[in-house]
Amino acid sequence: MKEIRFADKIIRILIKDRLHYPGRLITDTVILIARCGILLLLYYYVFKLNNGLVNGVTFGVVAWSMFFYFAFSTLRLRDISRSIMRDVQTGNIEVFFNKPMSYLLYKTWWQVGSGLYSFLLVAIIGSLGLFLTIGIPSTMTIGIFLPTLLLVFLGASILTIIVYAIVGVLAFWIEDINPVFWLVDKAVMILGGSYLPIALFPVFLYKIALYSPFGASQFITHTVNTSWRSDWYILIGIQAVWIIISGVVLFFMYSKAKRRISVNGG
Amino acid sequence: MKSDSIIVKNLSKKFTFPVKGASYGWLKNLFSPDIKEVVAVNDISFSIERGERVAFIGPNGAGKSTTIKMLTGILFPTSGQVSVLGLDPSKDRKKLAYQIGTVFGQRSQLLPNLPLTDSLEFFGVMYDLTDEQIKNRTKELTDLFDLGSFIDQPVRKLSLGQRMRAEVAVSLIHKPKIILLDEPTIGLDVVAKKTLRDLLLKINKEEGVTIFLTSHDVGDIEFLCDRTIVINHGVVIKDLPTSDLASAFVYEKYIDLIPLERFTNFPALPEGIKYLVKEQNKITVSIIVNKISIKESLKKLLDIFELEDIDVYDADLETVIRHIYEGN
Repeated sequence: MKEIRFADKIIRILIKDRLHYPGRLITDTVILIARCGILLLLYYYVFKLNNGLVNGVTFGVVAWSMFFYFAFSTLRLRDISRSIMRDVQTGNIEVFFNKPMSYLLYKTWWQVGSGLYSFLLVAIIGSLGLFLTIGIPSTMTIGIFLPTLLLVFLGASILTIIVYAIVGVLAFWIEDINPVFWLVDKAVMILGGSYLPIALFPVFLYKIALYSPFGASQFITHTVNTSWRSDWYILIGIQAVWIIISGVVLFFMYSKAKRRISVNGG
Repeated sequence: MKSDSIIVKNLSKKFTFPVKGASYGWLKNLFSPDIKEVVAVNDISFSIERGERVAFIGPNGAGKSTTIKMLTGILFPTSGQVSVLGLDPSKDRKKLAYQIGTVFGQRSQLLPNLPLTDSLEFFGVMYDLTDEQIKNRTKELTDLFDLGSFIDQPVRKLSLGQRMRAEVAVSLIHKPKIILLDEPTIGLDVVAKKTLRDLLLKINKEEGVTIFLTSHDVGDIEFLCDRTIVINHGVVIKDLPTSDLASAFVYEKYIDLIPLERFTNFPALPEGIKYLVKEQNKITVSIIVNKISIKESLKKLLDIFELEDIDVYDADLETVIRHIYEGN
């Protein structure tokens, strides 16, 4: 109960903070339009040149899949890595360790709160925009779509936080995690379907996306595929397995990391 | 009888880190570097009673911060025991956090973009206070720390003095029994320093909060703390009332001599006495007390000069602390 109240407070405080300073929202929206919009425009012409169908997939499926990826990225859960690294490098971690809370949980809620307002607005406005311009594919009209989307979204959020927190906690050993962050982030982007939509992946790449934690952290992009109707429980199962495995890894890494704290020589 | 807030017994902390050998290949440096060990805190012991105001001082790198971090549970001791309010900080860090407050002069815990009220509410929730408790405590702290004039301003727009008052107020939101302050007055002007010291004294007197302070500011030590623990090279070298610091560390006294008319010549002085100021209307000399006693000095000075007034005094605390640091 206490944790829920505290998480609620962090999220409320940060939404208030964002409302005071709308710059972040404008930046997120511009980035989303720039990255997702340009890619969608390119794919629109590719599909048009191919009579509206590539690999048996319509442009609508691709557009929604990519939109899910980019909308999810506005939550900025990945930023937890660099946030932890900054705390370790600056020594600010001592301020957090003097408080009656779990540092990683605090960071998690802080990250959720930081991106939630942008995410909700981008998701709502973007969904409406896509709905009005290209409509919704039939795969999104089946009964299980919405509940499974919410379930896989929750799993994706948890797994993303854990994967990027593992990268962040590495800062207790190597201080500059940027090279590792870059590798993991690119793996997530490619296997999550930010450049090439999942539905157009060659078989071997699809398998990697399916069975790696990087791909599993972006399973929301699979929800518009035709295979989702039959495979959703397998994907959610894979996601759950990765959450458990990476959660255990994070737990042990963090237990070791706590004993390695060194601030200003002490 | 007062009970102990903090008990430290034979506490040590060693840090180890890899050192690259210039003559080694990169492979050896990467996988099997030499390990250097630094003893930051070496077998220290002390205890602090509830309600005490203690300064923990020493030069840079003496082991002050390392000790504070072990007291709060951030760092794990290599050996020895720490008990803070009956809890072991390395095992009960979260439980202990409910009972202590910390202020780091060079770090901020406030929410920079939002008004101070949000920070107070935020930390109130973090410390599991009810909405009613947060409201009441915010009012108490607003009155005590005179926050009313800037409580609704975003924290980043506050002056440094206002921000430090706010930092201390926030760290007291949960009514801690001990407050640990790491250079709380760093960068403040004289007025802001005095205000903050007055407030700390007030919470010590009114709420019985134990104060454990590290500072390089002599005023903080002199004004706030009635006991001083001196640490250097990881070892406690002195633990004594602040008022006894001068006699414990400085073997010099000072004497101001005021002439009956005016000083016209300045003859050589006996061994152990030396001129510091030579003016027509005032002479100041220093006496090395383990070479010549005060009584003997005064007798000899009276033989040499015709005087109207004499003033004998100790070194100021800043000089004392400089002596301690330089001497160790």
